[in-house]
Amino acid sequence: MHRLYNSVEPRVMDEDMLKLAVREQGPKEEAGQLARQEGILFKDVLSLRLDFQNILRIDSLWQFENLTKLQLDNNIIEKIEGLEHLVHLVWLDLSFNNIEAIEGLDTLVNLEDLSLFNNRISKIDSLDALVKLQVLSLGNNQIGNMMNVIYLRRFKDLRTLRLSGNPIAELDDYRMFICAHLPGLVYLDFQRIDDHMKELAESKHQYSMDELKHRENLIQAQLDEERAQQEELEKHKAAFVEHLNSPFLFDSMYAEDVEGNKLASLPGVSELLQAYKDKFVTICLNIFEYGLKQQEKRKLELDTFNECVQEAIQENQEQGKHRIAKFEEKHSLSLNAIRDESDLINIEVKILEYSEDITELFNVLMTLEMQLVEQLEETINMFERNIIDLVALFIENVQSLMAQCRDLENHHHEKLLEISINTLEKILKGELDEDLPDDLRALFVDKDTIVNAVGASHDIHLLKIDSREDELVSRTNSWCAHLVDTIHKNEIMRNRRRVREINQYIDHMQNELDSLECSEVID
Amino acid sequence: MEVLKEKVEEEEEAEREEAAERGKKMMRPVEMRREELPMTQEMLRDLEKKLSEIEIIIPEPPIITKDTIDISKLPLSYQSNTLKEEHLLEVADNFARQYSHLCPDRVPLFLHPLNECEVPKFVSTTIRPTLMPYPELYNWDSCAQFVSDFLSMVPLPDPLQPVVKEEEKAPPKKYAIKPPRDLSSRFEQEQETKKQEELKGEEERQRKEEEQRLLEVEKAKTDPLHGLRVHSWVLVLSGKREVPENFYIDPFTARSYSTQDDHFLGIESLWNHKNYWVNMQDCWNGCKDLVFDLGDPVRWEYLLLGTDKAPLSVAEEEDDTMNDDDVENLGKEDDDKSFDMPSSWVEQIEISPEAFETRCPNGKKVIQYKRAKLEKWAPYLNSNGLVCRLTAYEDLECTMTLEIKEWFQNREDTLQLRHINKSTGLIIDYFKPGHPQALRVHAYKSMQPEMDRVMEFYETARVDGLIKREETPKTMTEYYRGRSDFLSYRHVDFGDRVKKLALNSAESNPRPMVKITERFSRNPEKPADEDVAERVFLIPEERTQLRYHCRDDHITASKREFLRRTEVDSKGNKIIMTPDMCINFEVEPMEHTKKLLSQYEAMMKLKNEEKLSRHQAWESELEVLEILKLREEEEGAHTLTISIYDTKRNEKSKEYREAMEHVMHEEHLRQVEAQLDYLAPFLAQLPPGEKLTHWQAMKVKDECLSDFKQRLIDKANLIQARFEKETQELQKQQQWYQENQVTLTAEDKAWYLSYYSQAVFRMRILEQRLNRHRELAPLKYLALEEKLHKDPRLVEFLEVFV
Repeated sequence: MHRLYNSVEPRVMDEDMLKLAVREQGPKEEAGQLARQEGILFKDVLSLRLDFQNILRIDSLWQFENLTKLQLDNNIIEKIEGLEHLVHLVWLDLSFNNIEAIEGLDTLVNLEDLSLFNNRISKIDSLDALVKLQVLSLGNNQIGNMMNVIYLRRFKDLRTLRLSGNPIAELDDYRMFICAHLPGLVYLDFQRIDDHMKELAESKHQYSMDELKHRENLIQAQLDEERAQQEELEKHKAAFVEHLNSPFLFDSMYAEDVEGNKLASLPGVSELLQAYKDKFVTICLNIFEYGLKQQEKRKLELDTFNECVQEAIQENQEQGKHRIAKFEEKHSLSLNAIRDESDLINIEVKILEYSEDITELFNVLMTLEMQLVEQLEETINMFERNIIDLVALFIENVQSLMAQCRDLENHHHEKLLEISINTLEKILKGELDEDLPDDLRALFVDKDTIVNAVGASHDIHLLKIDSREDELVSRTNSWCAHLVDTIHKNEIMRNRRRVREINQYIDHMQNELDSLECSEVID
Repeated sequence: MEVLKEKVEEEEEAEREEAAERGKKMMRPVEMRREELPMTQEMLRDLEKKLSEIEIIIPEPPIITKDTIDISKLPLSYQSNTLKEEHLLEVADNFARQYSHLCPDRVPLFLHPLNECEVPKFVSTTIRPTLMPYPELYNWDSCAQFVSDFLSMVPLPDPLQPVVKEEEKAPPKKYAIKPPRDLSSRFEQEQETKKQEELKGEEERQRKEEEQRLLEVEKAKTDPLHGLRVHSWVLVLSGKREVPENFYIDPFTARSYSTQDDHFLGIESLWNHKNYWVNMQDCWNGCKDLVFDLGDPVRWEYLLLGTDKAPLSVAEEEDDTMNDDDVENLGKEDDDKSFDMPSSWVEQIEISPEAFETRCPNGKKVIQYKRAKLEKWAPYLNSNGLVCRLTAYEDLECTMTLEIKEWFQNREDTLQLRHINKSTGLIIDYFKPGHPQALRVHAYKSMQPEMDRVMEFYETARVDGLIKREETPKTMTEYYRGRSDFLSYRHVDFGDRVKKLALNSAESNPRPMVKITERFSRNPEKPADEDVAERVFLIPEERTQLRYHCRDDHITASKREFLRRTEVDSKGNKIIMTPDMCINFEVEPMEHTKKLLSQYEAMMKLKNEEKLSRHQAWESELEVLEILKLREEEEGAHTLTISIYDTKRNEKSKEYREAMEHVMHEEHLRQVEAQLDYLAPFLAQLPPGEKLTHWQAMKVKDECLSDFKQRLIDKANLIQARFEKETQELQKQQQWYQENQVTLTAEDKAWYLSYYSQAVFRMRILEQRLNRHRELAPLKYLALEEKLHKDPRLVEFLEVFV
C-alpha cells in the first residue's frame, strides 16, 4: 500500500517470466542438469514463487494445473483472477498487494492456507468454496465490521486466524468476540488461545451465541429437510412415479382447464368432482406403490447381476494372476540362466524355450479371457432378457392402471355432460334456482357451446393423463435401453482393456528377451 | 501305620455317598500292587476312598522296612485291637471259614492283613473318610492324580501273596505287587498283544517284519503270572454327585476305566469303610458282565448284615446311610447297630500345604513307560524351575534318547517348555508372554549366531511388529504385521564374509548383504500403480527391482527396475541418468515416469531407502546377538520368580517377618528380665554388699520357700473362705425363699432365681479354682524349689549341699 507502484513499471506475467521462475526454482545440481536437459513442463511444477515482480495482473497460470503452492506476495495485484485452473492449490500467498475484494477463489476447494495480509479488503466473503481452510491471514486490511467474523463460522477446520491491523482489532471486545464466535480457533494473531480465555469469552457472549446457534440450527434443519425431500424425490424419479403419491397429477389436469374449473361450480359437480378425485388419487397411489416395488425388484436384479459378474471377473483375474506369478518365477530363473550361459547354442535353445513360454502364457491368458467373455456374454444376455421383461411388465401394469384413470375420466365426463345439459335445459326453461357465476353462465348459451366446453375440459384431462403415461413409459424404456447399453459397453471396454493389458505384458516380456538376444549377439 | 497309610477321608458326605467306592482285589488282574501287604491293603482301601475324596500317604518307605518305622510312636490303636475289632476279626474268620468251605476252589479272602505293627486289622477299618482342605481333592480326577503322585509304589516281595497274619490257620491269600515299570508295561503289553493280533490279520501291512520283532520282544516279556497277580483299585458307583455310571480308577495312574474294560479280569471282593462284599458272579468274561448291585445277596455276599441295610436298590439305601454320617459322627453311628463296622483305627490324614505342593515323595517322581520316561518335580525344587520332563526313547531298553520335553514353571525368563529333538539336534523353547525381548518361540540347534534358527515374537509387544525371524547361515527372513509403512516381509541374503586383514576394525565385521527383498501390503491411500508390493535390492549389482501392487481390475502389475551406473560419457561428463538405467513396465503408461528427472528422483529415493533397509537388517542382526546373549545369561542365572503372595519363598517378606520375630523375641526377653526378683525381699534383709555365706544362702532359700508355701496356703484359704461365704449366703437366701415362697411377687421370684443360678455359678467356679489350686500348688512349690536351686546367687552353696 505504501509503495508507489508507479515508481517501477508494472509487469505482465508472461511465458518468459514464468519459465525463468520455474527454472530458478527447479531442481538443483544433478537433478537440475537433467531438468535443463529435458525441460520442465509447467504442469509438472508443484510450487511456484513470484514475489517482488511488480505484477499487476495475474495471468498465464492456466498451464500449472498441478500447482499446490503459489506465492504472489509483494506485487501490485488489484484483483484476484486467473486462478480458476489451479484446483490443486493448497497454499496461496497474496499478501502485500492491492486487492480490494475477495473473489475468484471459487474453484480452489483444496486450499488450506490463504494469506491476504496487507491489502485493502474491507469485507470477508466469497470464501465459501474453501471448505478445507485451516489458516487465514487477513491482517492489515480495512475490515471494520465485527460481523465479518461470523462469516468465518462455516470453516470447521479453521485453526489460525490473523486479523490484527484492521479497524475491528481496535475494539475492546475484539479478542473475546472472536474467541466466542470461533470456538475451533487455536491461534489468533499468532497467540494461542488458552482455555481460560475461551471460557471467559464463552460466558461473556453466551447470550448472543445461543441465539446465533439457534438460528444456525434452524437453518441447518431446514437445509436437511430440503435435502431429504430432494433425495426422496430422486428416489421416486428413479422409480418413474414421482408425484404420483399426491393429487399432483389430478391437480395438474385442472390447472390449465379453464372450462373445467368454471363447470366445477355447477350444482352437484363439486360432489362428483370430489368422488372422482378420490378415486383418481387412489389409482395414482397404486401406481406409485407399484412403481416403488418394481424399482426395488429391478435394483435387486441389477445388484445380483453385478455381484455375479464381479465374482466371475474376480475369479478369472485370480487365475490370470496366478498364471503370471508362476511365469514370473520361472522367468527370472530363465533370464538368469540365459545370462549365465556361455555356450551360444545353449543360449539359443534357452531363448527359444523362453519365447515358447511367453507364447504359451499369452495363449493361456487369452484363453482365460475368451472364456470369460463368453460366460459374461451369456449372463448379460440373460440379464437383458430379464430386465426387459421386468420393465415390460411394469409398463403394462402401469398402462392398465392408467386406463382405469381414463375410464374414470370418461365416466366423469359423461356425468358432467349430463349435468351440464340438464342445467342448460333448466336454464333454457328458466327453472334454474341458483345463481350461476357470470362466466359460467356464459357457457350455457346453447348446447354446442356447453358440449364443447365440457369436451375441451375432457380433452385436456385426457391429454394430461396420456402425457404422464407417455413420460413414464418412455423414461422407463430409455432407462432400460441405456442400462443394457452401458452393460454391453462396459463389458466390451473391459475386454479390450484386458486384451490390451495382456498384449502389453507379453510385448514387454518379448522385448526383454529380444534385448537380451541383441546383447548376446553383440557380446 | 505311618508308613503308608493313607487315609481316606471323606470330606463331603455327598461325595462319599455317591461314590460308594470299594476296593476290589482281583486275583487275575494283570496289575498288582505295591508296597508290602499291610500297606497294600490299606492303600487299597485308601484308594477306594480316594474316590470319595482324598487320601494321603506318608511318603515314607513301605512297611516292609519295618525297621524304619518307629512302631512305639504309633498310637495305641495301631498296636492293638479293641474288643470290637477282635470281635470283628472273629466274625471275619468265621466268614472266611464258611467261604472256603463253600467255595473251595476260590482264593482265600483278603480280610485282615497285618498292619505295620504286625497286628491284623480288618480291611474296612483301614479306611477313614476325611475331608481335606484342598479344593483340588474334591473331585475324583484331580484327587486320583494327587494320590498317584503322592504314593510311590513298592513291589511286594511275593507278587502273588500279600502278607497276612501268619498265625492264622487258614492262611489268607496273598497279593502280589509288581514293580512300577511292570505296571505300565503290562498295560501296554496287553495293547501290544492286541495289536499283534490285529496285525496278523492284516497281512498287507508292510511293517510286518517290524511287528515280528516287536512280537518277539513282547513275547520275551510275557508275564508268566498273568492273571495270578493281585491288584486293587477303586470302584466308583454311580448315583451321587452326578456320577452317571460306574467306573474304575487305577490308583497308580489316576486313570479311569470303564467297568467294561478288558484289563480287569475279575473281582474277588469289594469293601468300603462300612462293609465287605464277596463277588459271587462268574468272571470268565472279565469284569464286563458284573452287576454292581451290592444289595443283591446272590451276586454279592456281604460280611456284615448291619451296616448296609440294603438288599437291592443299593444306591438309595447307601445314600441314606451315608447321608447321616458326617466325619464326626462316624464313630457314634457304629454304636447303634447290632454289629457295625468298628470305627477306623487309623489316624486322620494330614497333608501340610508344603507336602501338598510337593505332591510326590521328596518332590520327585519318575514314571517309566515303554520307550518313555516321565519325571516330575515339585515347583521350586529344581533351581532352574524344571517341573516335568518327558523323555522318549528309540528302543525298549531306554538307552537311545529320541526327544526330550521339559516343562518349567516360575521362570523369570518366562520359559515354559523346551523341546529337544535328539535326532535332529533341534531345540525349541516356548515362552510365555512377558519376556523382555517379547520372545514367543525360539527354535535353534546352536546358540552361536548365524546358524539355523527361528525366533517368533509376541508382535503386539514389539514396536516394529515383528512376528517371526528365520535364520540360516546365509539368509535372514523377517515377517511383520501391523506396521505403519506396510512392510510385511524382509528377506536378506548374505554373502561370504570378507576377510579383514587388519585388526583395527575390532569387533564387528558384518557379513555383506547381497540381496534384500522386502514386501509390503497394500496401502489403501495410494493408487495401486504407485504402491510398491515388492522391492528387491541387489546390492553388489546396484540394481533395484520394484514390483507394484496389482490394480483391482488387472492381472498384471507394474514393474520397474533401476540399474545404477556411474559412468562417464564420451565427453568425459558424468552420466547422471540415462533411459536404460530404468526399465519400466507399466500397466497404464504414465507420462511423468518416462521423464528422466522423475526417474532420477525415484532412484535417489531408493538409494536412501536401500541404506535404511540395510541398516534395519544390520540392526536385526545385532538384535539376534543381543537376544542370544540375553538368553545365555538367563539360562545361566535361571532366576525364578516368586509371587508376592508366596510368603514362604519370598525372601523379602521372609526377612521382614524374621526381623519382626526377632524384635518380638527381644521384647519378650526384656520383659522376663524385668520380672520381679523372688529373692529380693529376703536378700534385702542381709547386709548389703557382702557375699552370702552358706548358712545365709540356706536361710534365704528356706525363707523364700516357706514364704511361698504360706502364700499358697493363704490363697487356698482365701478361696475356701469365699466359697463358704457364698454357700452361707445361698443358704440364707434359700431359707428366705422357702419361708416366703407363697407370698413372693413374680419379680422377687425372678430375682431369686437369677441370684440362685449366679450363686451356683460362682460356687462352681470357686470350687474349680480351689481344685486347680490344690493340684497346681505342689507343682508350683517344686518349680520354685527347682528355680532356687538354679538361681545363680544361690547355686554354689546349694549344689555343694546337694
